[in-house]
Amino acid sequence: MSLKYGLLGLLVEEPLHGYEVKNRFEAMLGGTWEVNIGQVYTTLQRLERDGLVRPAGERGDRGKLLYEVSDAGRKALNEWLAQPESGPQELREDIYVKLLLAARVANGNLGPLLSRQKRAYLQRLRDLNQLEARAKKEGRTDLARLVRGALLHTEADIKWIDELSETGISGESK
Amino acid sequence: MDRRAFRNGHLWGVEVTELVRLTDITKVYQGGMTGALNGVSMAVEEGEFTAVMGPSGSGKSTLLNLIAGLDQPTTGSVMVGGSDLGKMGEAPLARFRRDSIGFVFQFFHLLPNLTVLENVLIPAQLKGTAGAEARGRDLLEQLRIAEVADRYPANLSGGQQQRVAIARALINQPSLLLADEPTGALDTRSGDQVMELLMQLHASGQTILLVTHDAKLATRHAARVISVMDGRIVDDARLESPERAPSEVIRVRSEEAL
Repeated sequence: MSLKYGLLGLLVEEPLHGYEVKNRFEAMLGGTWEVNIGQVYTTLQRLERDGLVRPAGERGDRGKLLYEVSDAGRKALNEWLAQPESGPQELREDIYVKLLLAARVANGNLGPLLSRQKRAYLQRLRDLNQLEARAKKEGRTDLARLVRGALLHTEADIKWIDELSETGISGESK
Repeated sequence: MDRRAFRNGHLWGVEVTELVRLTDITKVYQGGMTGALNGVSMAVEEGEFTAVMGPSGSGKSTLLNLIAGLDQPTTGSVMVGGSDLGKMGEAPLARFRRDSIGFVFQFFHLLPNLTVLENVLIPAQLKGTAGAEARGRDLLEQLRIAEVADRYPANLSGGQQQRVAIARALINQPSLLLADEPTGALDTRSGDQVMELLMQLHASGQTILLVTHDAKLATRHAARVISVMDGRIVDDARLESPERAPSEVIRVRSEEAL
C-alpha cells in the first residue's frame, strides 16, 4: 500500500494542507493505518521535489501550506492506478515459515500447530465479520470493501490449513 | 439468555440448559456413501448459536439429520431435550419433529400449489394449534414478507422463499432451529438478510444450529464453530466477540522506499 500515491490521489480531489491530507488518508483506510505526520510532510516534500505536487499559493495562517497536484502528478497517478499488481505474492506472516520448519523439527506431526492456527484464523474471521457489519452500518464503504478483501484472504488461509491437515506435510518435503 | 422450557411434553415447564447431547455416534451407510460419522460426541446448550462447519461429504448434514430425528444412528445415542430419540416410536418421533424442531434447507421445499401463508401454516395444522393463522401473519410481518402472504411461491424471489421457509420452521415455536446451508441457493444480498434474521432470532432466545461449508458464514454470528472432517469432530472452537478497533483486525501498510 502506497502512502505516496495515496496522498497524490487525495490531492487530485482538491488542494489540501498536510494535516488534512493525513486525516483524509486515515479516514479512507478506516483506521487500519495511522500515519505519522512527519512521514506525510516528508512524502509531500518528495512529491514536490519530483514535480508531482506544488504549493498552491502562499503559506496561510499558522504557516499552513496548501498542496495541489501538477499535470505530471495527475499523469503519474493515472499510470499507477491503471497498473495491475503483478509482483510476487507476498506471504509475510510468520505462519508460512513456521509450518515448514515445524514439519522438519516435529517429524511431520503438525496436528496441534495446524489446529491452533485454524482457531486463530476462525477468531480473525469473526473479528473481520464484526468489523464489516459495523462498517456497513456506519456507511463506511471504503472500510467495508477492505474488510471484505481481508475476509476472503483469511478464508483462503483456512483452506490451506485444512489441506495441510488432510494431506499432512510430513518428511517427504525435505 | 432466554431459557425457554422444552416443549415436547417430557419437560414441560422445567428449565433445562442442555438441549442436545450426542454420545459416541457412528453412522454407516451401505455402499460407502459419503456423510458417514465415526465416533461423534457433542452437546448444545439452550440459547446457543452453533455452526457446524465442514466440506461436502464430511458428515455435517448427517449430524443435523440425526438431531432432527430424520435419520437414526448406527450406534450411539441422540438426546434432545432430555428424550432419547432412539427409544421413541414412529408416532412420537413424528410429533417430536413437528413440535420441537424447525428445519431450514438450502432449497426451500415450499408447496407450489399453496399460498405463502398456507405453506407457513402446514406444521401448525398438523399439530392442530389454535390461533395459528394470527401467529403465521405475525411471523410474516416479523420477517418482512407480510405483503406476499397470499401469493404463490413461484412468484417470489429466492430470498423471500427462504424467509417463508423460516416462518414455516418457526410456526410451532420449536426448541431448536436447524439450518442446513440456508444461504446456499441465494445471492449475497438475500443471503445476508437471511443470516441477519437468524441472528435476530438468536438474540430473542432461539437455539440455532447452522450447518455450512463456508467459514465466513460460520463465524459471522455463531460464537461456537464445530469443525467436522471425515465423519469426526476435529475442533470445537468458542469464539470471542469483543469490539476491536480496525487496526487491531487489519493492517494495511508496507515499508516503502520513496
